[in-house]
Amino acid sequence: MISGIFHSTYEQDMALRHTHAQKIRLAILIVFLLVFPFLANRYYLTLANQIGIAVIGAIGLNILVGYTGQISLGQGGFMAVGAYTAGILTARMGMPWWASTLVACFVTAGVGAAFGLPSLRLKGLYLAIATLAAQEIILWVVTHWKAVTGGVDALVVPNPELFGIRMNTDFNFYWLVWALVILVTFASVNLFRTRFGRAFIAIRDQDIAASVMGVDLFKYKLLAFAISSFWVGLAGALTAHYRSIVTWERFTIDVSVLYLAMIIIGGLGKITGSYLGAIFMTLLPAVLSNLGRVVKGVFPGVEGIIPFIQQATFGLVIILFLILEPEGLNKIWKNIKDYFRLWPFSY
Amino acid sequence: MSRIKNLFALIVVASLLLTACGGGGGGGAKAPIKIGAIFDLTGATADVSTPYSEGMKGFVEWKNANGGIDGHQIEMTSADYAYKVDQAEQLYTQYTQEGVVAFQGWGTGDTEALRTKVAEDKIPFMSASYSAALLDMNAAPYNFLVGTTYSDQAVIAIRWAMDDYKAKGGSDQLKIALIHHDSPFGQSPVADAKAFTEANGGAFLDLAMPKGATDYVAELAQMTTFGAQYVIVQNVSSPAAVLLKDAKSQGFGAQFICLNWCADENLVRLAGTAAEGVMGAIPFTPPTAAVAGHKDADAFLKTKGSSLAEKGLHYTQGWWTMAVMAAGIEKVIKDGKELTGENIKAALETIQNFDTGGITSPISFSPTSHKGNNSLRLYQVSGGNWTQVSDFISAK
Repeated sequence: MISGIFHSTYEQDMALRHTHAQKIRLAILIVFLLVFPFLANRYYLTLANQIGIAVIGAIGLNILVGYTGQISLGQGGFMAVGAYTAGILTARMGMPWWASTLVACFVTAGVGAAFGLPSLRLKGLYLAIATLAAQEIILWVVTHWKAVTGGVDALVVPNPELFGIRMNTDFNFYWLVWALVILVTFASVNLFRTRFGRAFIAIRDQDIAASVMGVDLFKYKLLAFAISSFWVGLAGALTAHYRSIVTWERFTIDVSVLYLAMIIIGGLGKITGSYLGAIFMTLLPAVLSNLGRVVKGVFPGVEGIIPFIQQATFGLVIILFLILEPEGLNKIWKNIKDYFRLWPFSY
Repeated sequence: MSRIKNLFALIVVASLLLTACGGGGGGGAKAPIKIGAIFDLTGATADVSTPYSEGMKGFVEWKNANGGIDGHQIEMTSADYAYKVDQAEQLYTQYTQEGVVAFQGWGTGDTEALRTKVAEDKIPFMSASYSAALLDMNAAPYNFLVGTTYSDQAVIAIRWAMDDYKAKGGSDQLKIALIHHDSPFGQSPVADAKAFTEANGGAFLDLAMPKGATDYVAELAQMTTFGAQYVIVQNVSSPAAVLLKDAKSQGFGAQFICLNWCADENLVRLAGTAAEGVMGAIPFTPPTAAVAGHKDADAFLKTKGSSLAEKGLHYTQGWWTMAVMAAGIEKVIKDGKELTGENIKAALETIQNFDTGGITSPISFSPTSHKGNNSLRLYQVSGGNWTQVSDFISAK
């Protein structure tokens, strides 16, 4: 009878996967990832790619909000920085897409750190408003700095190619984005096993205590903004190359709120939470829209009100999640695992 | 990494759910024609997109009841995308996957974001975004503009202003202000309007209307200092109504000319008496100025216990946008060609002087231009109704 997971060696303690069940699940997952694109049609591939980009963006935001406790409403703006940097470098200067993506990550990290400066003085809601300003300022610059961003016009980005293969078809992009998702996941999971990650968590839990312990608040808060924005910039740059067009309307305040909702629903301060939230928030509208089509077929009379029911359901599901499991989908998943591990003698 | 597994469990469940939801096609002797459409029924522009969507659906139902396109029924699949670009992409991919041969979009956001994919998939695309940027045949070869572009609308407005100013005996330099929504949609006509005004010896001022502003007193003061005699408004109805009310209370005397997204019934409803005398550059004739093109839609709506007067001019706009697309499809079928996006594009490009029953000036496309027309009539609010004050004025 299992009463818990105990480690008797340092290797076990440091392992990322502790149990057989975890390893089996990981194997199934990898097989699924590898098989999925061959079975899926273009629609499902588009959804999977949108999820992949959202996962990267959500992990980025979670590092800042979930792990370091610095609320940010600037996600849309930072994604715009990533997308426009990558787009401009590739479209205007002919830089290869992978190089422009990398540069975009660093530029976004820099911009993120700059907008993170107020975080030393501001906390909680006050910081949220300061980052909201970042969102507005960035979008204003994007739409008005005509010489660089093209201002009102959409920025068309050439198709990315790797060894002569076009990377932004839905099928090819799937491999690119999910490889990057795995890379980002590995980097982020390991980040929180280093002194940097631990400093972030210390700041979140109690910044004064962290400071007393010798954590340089200013440095680590800015670092959190930079690392977070680095991934967010990657998500933005991938969007630019995937859709081969960049428009400001993709990066409005709605996006910032959507990503915040993703990590809250998924689970703050958990990498798995970022995954679950990104999947949930991307698929929920798609599922609702398809359910709407079925309902339309069965009850044609209600067609007019379906969009409103969808909107209301969207809101309702989110509220129910927050009420029933404030720790998010990640906790629900954990509960399910615990239930089966301890079955039939749960205590 | 077992964490990631959750993702897949969810995807699998969702996939099962989604595949269970495939739509069944209608029966009939001839294969139905599949068209995809997205509308904003719950988002920021829902007030105007809803009647537009009803107009499109109305046209499809009416056309199908009258034998469809050469015996083929139109099967339009549509959904709300709440003005969210991501959802527009999802829906577009889904409908393309299901084999739609043409697509009806809605706003600037989705039209711009989809135009590269549309060109790649070779799907003819129309929308209610009349930005001249969509006329670039290299960047947007599958986008068609049924309405008069914002640039042309502004030029037509300025043309009228010049004549009006002369007729009223104005001798000073003509001063035109263009006040607009602070977005690509709003800025779209600025460059062309400025060039046209200055080429004709006038002075030009462009001003953005800040988002979320509750009054426009500061902007009115700026226009007073500039000495504007005519003010062109490129915005949607609700901020335009606030502007008109402020202008009235401030005693601002210049003539307002609304471009198409604020020249509608909503403006009159919201601004009340402050809308009296406002001019409107309207590419789609409003129901208050009856023309032959209103007849079918009105008769159709009467069978549903409604009327065109109740639905307003955006219904007509949706109806006739779909009618133009249907004309292209009909040509492909009549020519006995396979119904593909490429052939529909080619067919649309042969349309010359398509008669919309006086709703718009005749519509023509060619392989080098997807600009449907470049002229419209001007209207003026009088007694709470948009009444016609000019014949077609061309931007050229």
